[in-house]
Amino acid sequence: MERRVPGPAGACSRRRVAAHGARVIFREVEDRDLIGRARRGEVEAYNLLVSRWEKRVFNYLLRLVGDREDAFDLSQETFLKAYQNLSRLEDQARFSAWLFRIAHNEAFSLLRRRKPEAEPLRDPPSATASYGLFPAELSLAVQSALERLSEDQREAVLLKVYQGFRFEEMAEILSCPVSTVKSRLYTALDLLKDTLAPISTRGVP
Amino acid sequence: MTCSPYDLKDYFLDELAAAACGLVEDHLKQCPGCREELERLRLTRSALEALRDEEPPRRIAFVSDKVLEPSWWQRFWQSGPRLGFAAAAMLSVAILVHAFARPAPPAPGGRDTAALEARISAEVAQRLEPAIAAAEARQAQRAAQVVAETERRLEFDRRADRVAFEEALTVLQKRFSVWLTASADLGVRR
Repeated sequence: MERRVPGPAGACSRRRVAAHGARVIFREVEDRDLIGRARRGEVEAYNLLVSRWEKRVFNYLLRLVGDREDAFDLSQETFLKAYQNLSRLEDQARFSAWLFRIAHNEAFSLLRRRKPEAEPLRDPPSATASYGLFPAELSLAVQSALERLSEDQREAVLLKVYQGFRFEEMAEILSCPVSTVKSRLYTALDLLKDTLAPISTRGVP
Repeated sequence: MTCSPYDLKDYFLDELAAAACGLVEDHLKQCPGCREELERLRLTRSALEALRDEEPPRRIAFVSDKVLEPSWWQRFWQSGPRLGFAAAAMLSVAILVHAFARPAPPAPGGRDTAALEARISAEVAQRLEPAIAAAEARQAQRAAQVVAETERRLEFDRRADRVAFEEALTVLQKRFSVWLTASADLGVRR
């Protein structure tokens, strides 16, 4: 599973390399470096930041709204709003939670507009999705189980299981108490467990 | 529900402190029911992780377009520290302007102050005396005018009174003459 654990932008890792007699220090470019440069108007720094987060934001939105084009449009809106409001981000270490809060607001704005309609039409898994390690049936079963959850429950699972946020961060993203976050997540886990645990026992090769 | 000392899902989701984790792990060694529940949670997560991330259909990138960028004043207003710095800068400018705009204070030093005071006293005395003299002269002239006017009015009143008196006296004399003539006539007739 290709996932990055959010939170502080990672410990600063340095490596010294002797190259052509000169000492070069390699340091990981952290999100906060890119945020600082983007705040000063460096669009390329912001594009680099976007490239680090776009896949995660897109997949979160895709699983929430169930439509690839909608998810992509919402991703663009999310990153545009984040860029326009970057100077309002007080704690740069909380960039991920702040970004997902924008994405959450965008997604629920769309879901509210959709409400009169029936169940959202869900795209079938795209041809680009790779299921090499697991049977396709298991992925379909997971998708189906996630769809049966309420939007709030599904979002709690997405933020915790797929995005790795902590309860406090989830409460910040969802603008609700930690107790509400836990209640949604645990109910969702119980429902998913009943459906998926037996399949997972049988189906994983 | 499980009989674990802490919520098994908290433990499963790595949301417990280290000490609490230790207690849960001790409990798990003795409780097959909780071990089974934990195993079901792990199988559920394994199944969820079967759903792989998809690639976005296109890359998201921004170009340096002025329309998208917040204007300098938006960036300025959205920045607390910058606003604070600007306020401090404006205060400094105001203090400087005030310092240059007001008249220069007297140079410090006792001798200079004494000399300045003496010069001021001399100048005040020099200018004050003619001013007082001029004021006194104006006052005297005005008093003389008032006196002259009063005397003129009194003289006029006196003349008027004298004329009136003379006229009254003339009337009385005439009446007396008439009375004398009439009494003389009355005596002759008797």
